Amino acid sequence: MTAQIEITEVTKRYGALTVLENLSLSIKANEFMVFLGPSGCGKSTLLRMIAGLESVDEGTIAINGRRIDTLPPGQRDLAMVFQSYALYPHMSVADNMAFGLKNIGVPADVIATRLSEAARMLEIGHLMERKPGQLSGGQRQRVAIGRAIVKEPKAFLFDEPLSNLDAALRVRTRVELAQLRHRVKSTMIFVTHDQIEAMTLADRVVVMNNRRIEQIGTPMDIYTRPATRFVATFVGSPTMNFLKAKMDSRDGFATLTLPDGATLQTAMRSDGLAPGAYELGIRAEAVRPARAGETVTTSGTVEVLERLGDRTLLYIRLSDGSMIVAEDAGLSRAAIGDRMELTLDGSRVHLFDGEGRAFHAVEAAHG
Amino acid sequence: MADAALSSPANRAAPAKARVQNVQAPLWRNALFVLPFLVVFVALLVVPLVWGIWLSLHKADAFSSGRFVGFANYVRLYNDKIFWQAIGNTFYFVLLTVPALAVIGLMLALALNSRTRTAAVLRTVFFASSVLSVTIVTLIWRIVFVPGFGLLATVYGWFGAAPPAFLSDPDLVMIAIAIATIWWCIGLPMMLFLSALQQIPGDIYEAAALDNANRWRTFRYITLPSIKRTFVLVVVIQIVLQFQLFGQAKLMTNGGPNNVSKPMVLYIYEAAFTKWDLGLGAAASEVLFVLILIAAMVQFLVSRRKGESA
Amino acid sequence: MSSMTSAHAPTPASDVGRGAPSGMVGRTTGDRIILGLTIALAIVMMAPLLWVVALSLKDNKELMVSMNAVFHAPYTVQNYINILATSSVFRWILNSLVVAGGLTVGTLVLSSLAGYGFARLNFPFRNVLFVIVLMGLAVPEQAVLIARHQLFSWLKLHNTYPGLILPGLSAPFGVFLMTQYFRAIPKELDEAALLDNASRFKIFWKVLLPLTLPAQATLGIFTFLGAWNDYLWPLISGTKKEMYTLTVGIASTQTNFAQSEGLGFLMSQAVFAGAPILILYLFFQKYIVTAVSGAAVR
Repeated sequence: MTAQIEITEVTKRYGALTVLENLSLSIKANEFMVFLGPSGCGKSTLLRMIAGLESVDEGTIAINGRRIDTLPPGQRDLAMVFQSYALYPHMSVADNMAFGLKNIGVPADVIATRLSEAARMLEIGHLMERKPGQLSGGQRQRVAIGRAIVKEPKAFLFDEPLSNLDAALRVRTRVELAQLRHRVKSTMIFVTHDQIEAMTLADRVVVMNNRRIEQIGTPMDIYTRPATRFVATFVGSPTMNFLKAKMDSRDGFATLTLPDGATLQTAMRSDGLAPGAYELGIRAEAVRPARAGETVTTSGTVEVLERLGDRTLLYIRLSDGSMIVAEDAGLSRAAIGDRMELTLDGSRVHLFDGEGRAFHAVEAAHG
Repeated sequence: MADAALSSPANRAAPAKARVQNVQAPLWRNALFVLPFLVVFVALLVVPLVWGIWLSLHKADAFSSGRFVGFANYVRLYNDKIFWQAIGNTFYFVLLTVPALAVIGLMLALALNSRTRTAAVLRTVFFASSVLSVTIVTLIWRIVFVPGFGLLATVYGWFGAAPPAFLSDPDLVMIAIAIATIWWCIGLPMMLFLSALQQIPGDIYEAAALDNANRWRTFRYITLPSIKRTFVLVVVIQIVLQFQLFGQAKLMTNGGPNNVSKPMVLYIYEAAFTKWDLGLGAAASEVLFVLILIAAMVQFLVSRRKGESA
Repeated sequence: MSSMTSAHAPTPASDVGRGAPSGMVGRTTGDRIILGLTIALAIVMMAPLLWVVALSLKDNKELMVSMNAVFHAPYTVQNYINILATSSVFRWILNSLVVAGGLTVGTLVLSSLAGYGFARLNFPFRNVLFVIVLMGLAVPEQAVLIARHQLFSWLKLHNTYPGLILPGLSAPFGVFLMTQYFRAIPKELDEAALLDNASRFKIFWKVLLPLTLPAQATLGIFTFLGAWNDYLWPLISGTKKEMYTLTVGIASTQTNFAQSEGLGFLMSQAVFAGAPILILYLFFQKYIVTAVSGAAVR
């Protein structure tokens, strides 16, 4: 079973406080959709509204064309995995998984089949008679997923399900989730504030901030063509560099003048761009020390070095006082205090205007 | 997303009107869970409370609900020397018992706050009396105090002396009742202090030991400030509790001699259930209610200020 | 009333002593003196109890001669045999069991239902009602006693078990305790159950109630002990001898106590009445202490 979910003009208020405003979103059948955003952006509220745990003040939510926001949670045919797992502490793992099925009168033999199938898939067969208190965090997580799977819901809702796991287990579970979604054909909605989870799991990501959707797109879309300055800041590590820049047009392409006077020829078409002040956004991986013979864009002094093994991050103070992060090879020979000449990749720049609009040198992958 | 702004107002209004099943919406049928209790609560607490006030304004006996007399019952109380004496006795009793319970309870808690088996046994002993009923407690203490064959008389007899007449000397009866009460009630303050002492992190004491603090300074500057709130709480709980003195006084002395050990609740009991002057009894119980309410308010305020000190 | 947030049981007696200063090195003579004094005080505490037990084991004729007879043989259990033969004490114990048991069961049922309702469900006037119930905590029994007595006279409930049980059911303490406890249970459990298509009652009964067992134990012990030891209401409501509770019954025998005739019998009756609860205390000390002190602080 699967679900096409249509969220139309949904608004949610708590008293005078509006947490979601006039929000519309369409989730395709079998899609893995991730709601990404900082805490308090409304992503969990939206998920809970789909689940029926929060009321919808305005607007509608429909699954496969049938309106569900008027139905109680139990009748929406959805399963949810909670951040705290919310396993029933006094029931065995098997009873936890069977509870929802018994409530809707699924025959005992069907329940048994589904339980053993899920137990096999999640490798929790040996835990079935234990109580949640006797399980490790990772095992509880599997049971919580198992409880969702046996219901064979139209859609799975995940509310930050990995955030209670330690770092190593989180990575492993993430990979397992990615595998799981190919075995369980169903729509999945996954809420997280972790951009890596979003990038690695999602078919599409919904980036949310401050009651609104900032951008909907594939992970690569979000990364290479952030729709707003917020998305550009929130996605990617280290955070994108921002510099004030003055834009002029030359031969149909944008040329930028940086605060220290340096100029950068970009691969961005300047038609439709009014000359003037913009904010230049460029990721660290598009800023590197200039090799011999390369065009030098600007230069500065290394203040901080972060050696990450596979690469080295250089925090460089430009002559006008602004800071830029550049990326160098893992075995970089740079040292603090070094004078460093930098080259900025003009084909990977982003411009943000005063109204929050974004322009990209990279063409959209589609359309 | 962008076309969301284009929707017409009419479009938006329609869904809001639909029958929305909101899991958090107030529903009358949810009140069914609290209804059974509320029925009993209203019938046996709220109604009697209002009725009691109404009664206090009437001349009523067991057989008729009486006629309205305004504040006459309160005026009678005001002019009744025995009522004033009962109030005085009650305050005197609170004064005798509450400080003793708080201080002895704290000392016992400090002495028994250790993991040894001896301490565990002693805690059991000191709390044991708390589970007995008032009638057994008074029976025990009468057999201690009673002249002639009491425990006290027997012990004094060994030295050829006669014990103080605890149950008949007007100066001593309240003290006798207080002793029995402290014996009966000491377990609760001790346990409350013990659990407060448990809340003090052990590393503070280790730090104090490294700072060469002696026993007294450790108590004065670490233990005492940490349990200040519990101390106030114990005092207020005990004030409310001891204010309602009844069984001990009724069974040990029946208020005598000459009303010197008659507390307010006994006065109320006698007015209502031996003289069947229900109006007067009700008026006296309203006075008691107000006094206890004041103490309860203090308790509420103290417990609300919880965050201020540990 | 203090801990609005924590529904955790207070430290059980057996755990007392953790992190105590005396756990450190260097126990001094000061510690030993304090211990000695405490033991002495404990003996003084026990003395009246032992005195009563000793008296109950003596023949009356011997006591009439000298109280010092208590300190030497012969001892006899004749007084206890007399109880079995003659006393109403069994009837009173039965009454107390019915009253305390009924009140405990009733309180647990009403408080659990209401606690869940107040903690988890929304209904019109919920907050106002809860505040009114909380205010009920401040109403002392004496303030409603007379009106209740009149009400029960009209309903002809005096000298009946319901008459002895019902007033205790109106106490808001249990509701308060259970509301706090339900609030401390993560709300995700309800939500998971809602998604599992469970009705509100099913969530209460199958998911949350099993998790409140510690609170049920606390409330149950506290209620039972309070009802067992209650004196005021049974005294004015159960006025027929066969409807006395144990507490009232024992009190009724105390009146003709001045003459030492039947002293041993009286004492054996007191021991007989007090022993069960003391033995229960020794077995369930941890729970009883937790219940009583936990209930007081809230």
